[in-house]
Amino acid sequence: MTDNKKTGRKMPYEKRKAMYGYGFISLWMIGTLFFFLIPMIKSLWYSFNEVSIGTGKMVTEWVGLAKYKYVLNVDEHYTEYLKDMLLETLWKTPLVIIFSLFIAVILNQKFKGRTLARAIFFLPVIIATGPVYKIINGDMSSTGNTGAAQFSTMFSTDLVGELLQFLGIYGLSDNMSTMISTIADNIFGIVWASGIQILIFLAALQNIPPSAKEAAQVEGATAWEYFWKITFPYVSPFILANLIFTVIDSFTSPTNTVMGRILAMKEDWKFGEASAMAWIYFLIVLAAIGLITLIVNKLIYYEVD
Amino acid sequence: MAEISSDGTAVIKTEKEIGNGMSKKEAKKIRMQNMTASEKAYLRRRSMAEKVWPFFRFVILFGLGFVILYPLIYMVSCTFRERTDMNDPTVMWIPRNYTLKILKETIVAMDFWNTLKTTLVLNIGCSLVQVVSCAITGYGFARFKFKGKGLLFGIVIMMILVPTQVISLPLYTQFRFFGIGNLTMNLIDTKATMYLPALTANGIRSGLMILIFRQFFKGLPKELEDAAYIDGCGPFMTFVRVMVPNAASSFLTVFLFSVVWYWNDYYVSATFFTNTKTIALMLQNLDTELKLRLFNSATVEISPREQIVWKEAGCLISIAPILVLYTCLQKYFTEGIERSGLVA
Repeated sequence: MTDNKKTGRKMPYEKRKAMYGYGFISLWMIGTLFFFLIPMIKSLWYSFNEVSIGTGKMVTEWVGLAKYKYVLNVDEHYTEYLKDMLLETLWKTPLVIIFSLFIAVILNQKFKGRTLARAIFFLPVIIATGPVYKIINGDMSSTGNTGAAQFSTMFSTDLVGELLQFLGIYGLSDNMSTMISTIADNIFGIVWASGIQILIFLAALQNIPPSAKEAAQVEGATAWEYFWKITFPYVSPFILANLIFTVIDSFTSPTNTVMGRILAMKEDWKFGEASAMAWIYFLIVLAAIGLITLIVNKLIYYEVD
Repeated sequence: MAEISSDGTAVIKTEKEIGNGMSKKEAKKIRMQNMTASEKAYLRRRSMAEKVWPFFRFVILFGLGFVILYPLIYMVSCTFRERTDMNDPTVMWIPRNYTLKILKETIVAMDFWNTLKTTLVLNIGCSLVQVVSCAITGYGFARFKFKGKGLLFGIVIMMILVPTQVISLPLYTQFRFFGIGNLTMNLIDTKATMYLPALTANGIRSGLMILIFRQFFKGLPKELEDAAYIDGCGPFMTFVRVMVPNAASSFLTVFLFSVVWYWNDYYVSATFFTNTKTIALMLQNLDTELKLRLFNSATVEISPREQIVWKEAGCLISIAPILVLYTCLQKYFTEGIERSGLVA
C-alpha cells in the first residue's frame, strides 16, 4: 500500500489516474479475452473455413469467401429473413421507446394503485426473455408442437374480434378490422418488449430533483412544457441505453427469424455457413448501432462533461 | 408560500384541504376574487386537466395491463383444470373440473424442489458477483481517462451486440479445454462455466450492465469524488465509500435484471450443462420429461391441445418463484430509487 503511494506520487497526476482506470477494468479485460475475444476470433475463422468434426477436435480447411457467397446468393431464406428483420426493427424501435417513456411518465405520477400498475408493467421484464415467453407467444416449434401454436394465436385474435363485435364496428369494413387487429397484435409485441425500458426510464424520472418540479410549478409550466423542459433533459442520457437495448433485444429475441436460420444451420453441423451468416448480420447491426450512437450522443445532455 | 401550494399543486393536496373544513374553502374564495383573468383561466384549465386525466390514465393502464396479464390469467386457468377441459369448447377462462392433479404431476416431472434449489443458489451467486464486477468496470469507463479507452469500450458495445449464439460453440471448446498449453481441464457441466464469466464481468448480458453503470456514474456530479480525493481517499476507496452508496438504487436495479436473466437463460445453460438442471432447462424439456416420468414411455401420444395444461402449469411454477422474489425486491427497489433521488 505504502509502496503504491510512493511510486504513485512520482507519476504525474494524469498518468496515475490512467493507471487506476486500467486497474478498475482489469478484471473485465482478463475475462473478455478468454470468454469473448478468443471465441469471437474463432468464430470469424470458422466463417472462412470448411468446418468438420474430426476425432476430438474441429477440422478446418480454408475456403476464403466461399461461405459468404453461398449465404448471400444461394441460401433461399437468409436474405429474405434479413430484410424483414431489419425493417421490423426500424419501425418497432422508436415505437417502443416512445411507448415506454409515455408509460414511465404515467407510472411516475401519484395515483391510487400505482404500485400495482408498476408491478404489472414490469412483468414482461421477468417473463419476456425466458422460455415461458416462447410458450406464451405460441412459438412451440422447438418442441414440435404446432397444434398448440395454432391454438394460441386463435385465442389471441379471437379476443380482439370479440371486442370489435362488441363495439359494433365489426361488419363495417374488412380493411378496418384487419388494420385494428394488426395494431392490436403489435401492441402485444410492443408492450411485451418495453418492460426494461420502462424500468430504466422510471429510474431516471425518479432522479429528477423535487426542486426542479417546484420551480416549474411556481413558474406555472404546463404539463407539456414540463415534459420537454424538465423531464426530457433528465431522461435523455437513458435514451441511448434504451435505444441500444431495444435494438439488441429485437435482434437477439427467440422469435428472430434470422437467428432461427443461423441456429438451424448450426444444428445441420454447417458451422462455416452459420458463422458467415452470423457475421454478416452482426456487421449490419454494428453499423446501425454506430449510426444511432453518433446521432443520439449529439443530442443528449450529461450533467458532467 | 401557502398560496402557491394550495392552488398550484397536485390533486391529492387540494382534496386533503377540502376535507379539512370550510375555513380553507372560504380563504380560497377570497383569493380567487383577487386574481386576474389570466390567472383564473390558468387555474380552470389546470383543474379540467386534473379531472379528465385520471380517467384516461385509468383506461390506458387498464387496457394495457390486461394485454400483459391475460397470458398469466390463462396460465392459472389451465393449471387448475383437468386435461379433458381442453377439448370442451365451452371452457375458456373458468375450468369445469377443478383439480390439483396437473400441478402435482408437473412438479414431479420437473423435479421442482431440487431444481429450484440449484437454480436459486446459482442465479443469486452469479448475479451478486456479476453486479459487483460490472459496477467496477462501468466506473472505470465512466471516470478515468486512459489510452485505448475508446477501443475497449467498443468491445463492451460488441459484447452487447454479439448474440451468445455466435460465440457459444468456440466458448464450449474454451471450457472443455480450459487452461494454458497442456495444463487443461474439463469445466463442462461444472458451475465454473457460469461463475467464471460472471466474476470477470462477462456473464449473461454483462455488456449491458457495464453500459448501464457507466451511464449512471457519468451522470453523478464529479464534485463528489473530488471532495474525497482532496480528503486523501484513494480511487478505489472513493469508489467504495462515496460512489457505491450513491449508486445503491442502480445496484438493486441491475441485480434484479441479473437474477431474472440468469433465471430465464436456457441457451447458455443448455450449452454448458449436461446434468445440472435449472428451471428454464427443465421447462424446455418438459415434453420428454412428462412422457418419461408420468407415462413411463417416450412414445405415448397425448393430443397437443391436452398437452397445453401441463405446459401452462410448468410455466406457472417456473415463474412463480421469480415472481415472489420480484415482488419483495420491487418494494426495496422503488424505495432505493426514491432515497437516492432525495440524496441527489
